[in-house]
Amino acid sequence: MKDPVVMAHVNMWAVLKSLEPLCALDETAKALASPKKPMSIGFHVQGGPMATLHFDEGSCRMTRGNTGKVKLLLPSPQAFNAMVDGDRNPLPYSGLTKVNFLLREFTQLTDLLEVYLRPSQEDLEDRAFFERSTTILFHTVAFALAAIANNDPLGRIAAAAIPDGTIAMEILGGPAVEITARDSRLVTRSRKAERPRSYMIFDSFDTARGLFDGTLESMSALAAGKIRMGGYIPMIDNLNRILGRVAVYLA
Amino acid sequence: MNTYTYPKNDALLQRAAQVIPCGVYGHQGPAEGCFIPISAFPKFAAKAKGSYFYDVDGNKFLDYMCAYGPNILGYCDEDVNAAAMEQMAIGDCITAPSYKMVELAELMHETVQCADWTFFAKNGGDTTTLAVLTARAATGKRKIIFVKGYYHGVAQWTQRADAPWVLPSEVEHNLMVDFNDIEGLKKIIEENKDDIACFISTPYMHGNFVDNVLPAPGYWQEVRRLCTENGIILIIDDVRCGWRLDLAGSDHYYGFEADLLCLCKGIANGFNVSALCGKDFLKPTVSSITYTGSYWMSAVPFAAAIACINKMKALGGGQAHLALGRKVCDVLAKAARENGVGLSISGEPSLFYLRITDDNSLMLHQEWIAEMVKRGVYVTNHHNHFTNLSLTDADIDFTGQVADEAFKALKARHPELYQ
Repeated sequence: MKDPVVMAHVNMWAVLKSLEPLCALDETAKALASPKKPMSIGFHVQGGPMATLHFDEGSCRMTRGNTGKVKLLLPSPQAFNAMVDGDRNPLPYSGLTKVNFLLREFTQLTDLLEVYLRPSQEDLEDRAFFERSTTILFHTVAFALAAIANNDPLGRIAAAAIPDGTIAMEILGGPAVEITARDSRLVTRSRKAERPRSYMIFDSFDTARGLFDGTLESMSALAAGKIRMGGYIPMIDNLNRILGRVAVYLA
Repeated sequence: MNTYTYPKNDALLQRAAQVIPCGVYGHQGPAEGCFIPISAFPKFAAKAKGSYFYDVDGNKFLDYMCAYGPNILGYCDEDVNAAAMEQMAIGDCITAPSYKMVELAELMHETVQCADWTFFAKNGGDTTTLAVLTARAATGKRKIIFVKGYYHGVAQWTQRADAPWVLPSEVEHNLMVDFNDIEGLKKIIEENKDDIACFISTPYMHGNFVDNVLPAPGYWQEVRRLCTENGIILIIDDVRCGWRLDLAGSDHYYGFEADLLCLCKGIANGFNVSALCGKDFLKPTVSSITYTGSYWMSAVPFAAAIACINKMKALGGGQAHLALGRKVCDVLAKAARENGVGLSISGEPSLFYLRITDDNSLMLHQEWIAEMVKRGVYVTNHHNHFTNLSLTDADIDFTGQVADEAFKALKARHPELYQ
């Protein structure tokens, strides 16, 4: 069962956050994220998360809090979720003169993100696209892990069982993140962990994709050597519980 | 010393994965069994005898996992197998249960301290579940006190609410306390007064991934007193420890008496039977519970169990296991000390638990275990080990030699840690 507040956190900290790798990987996205002057859009979700997306020189960066030049007020987590699903277009309460970027470039960016996160089979047959799409999805999943661990009631049970330390998660020859557990809360960062206490490494983009799409099951992939894990295994075991919740929210 | 490779094992695992979930599911599989790295471990056995098994590549392993416990006398023990084969020729799974069931129950009554009666099933989880059902039925109460880090099988009541296959309502009456924490136990009892059906625990804390913890002096006697005074059924899950400490039960070993005692792994040297033993006052309740299984009264395992118990008694029972375990722990500790590697050995010697203490990620430990396995001593990463009574001094010396070489391989790979 999806909780709308948790869904809003996933949409903010994982889905919209994925505009960062999108702009890093896709040339069209880079062009869209290149306004003449730095641009930022703030999201204030009442009863939910608050964050700002900054666009400058082809890159995108998310920060906490609503400091955007364009400020959006979403009256509820449900309203924010509807916006992310493309069912609602809220008007800004501040930065009206910059609304063109919101309506034009930002909308095109989110449409492009959807192409990568919900790709067609035809698109996936292009290997370069497949790897870009899987990289973006990898980041979405990695950041959703923290959003769910910190907000979802069942995710919190698993997070509470993860001892303090850092988990390295990566695709061999591809993207890497570190997930740090401290006092039953998780923080994901887009970087390779230097001294992890445990690790989970997918042997290929195909393995990662299979797991995220639900066509490959993690225990079978472990048994087949497609996933390597090591270190303090209870961290990975409990992270996998949260991964199961990610599938529910990102389905 | 040569190290093993596993081409046939790996090919068979690929075949298995086509038709069996995970290839090998559960604790004996690569995933839950923590085969790290997977390339260091055999996946399928070809045969076993005494303290050894051979994998499908022909590699020979001195086995300290003992099928995760059932191998208590030695694989393919002649006396147990002869009793089983004799029974097989007479009859096994029959409409009416064999008289062997009565003989075994009488032998259990003579052998196990708290066994006024015995209820037979197949797996440890059958007995822990029946124990909890019995406690709830007998008391009319709902809550179960567990010790943190517990393992009592895989039934829903033993799981957490975040397991996707479990309903939160199935675990909402589960309470947790630390092992050896009498004050914590008193607090939980006070906070849940009149609604606690049972306290379930292993005889000592032999959880995975952590050093195992023995009961503090007086701990069990105080738990016993609190349970009795508060109408709480005391269940001891002796599935793992059972008979490697004391044939009368691990509760007897630690100087108290359980209301219900769950036994399984050690009973019949690998033949499939488990047993819930209990006190007379719970007999009417357990008799009233609908609980049965297709093979629970098969005669071959009963015959094997009778032979196993009698042979265990003749060979010295739990004390013989403890003595062997001490020798194994001594050679491992010596090898670690001589190599300057920090090795923690915890738990009871017949179920020793190992952990290299030189990092907190367990990665060094996993490397060392892999080196041991590749040299023919089968140990596992994060589970306690098991002795069997066919172990010889020569086997134990070999264990020391392999441990020494595995430590040296580890040190060579980590000059930054070991000068």
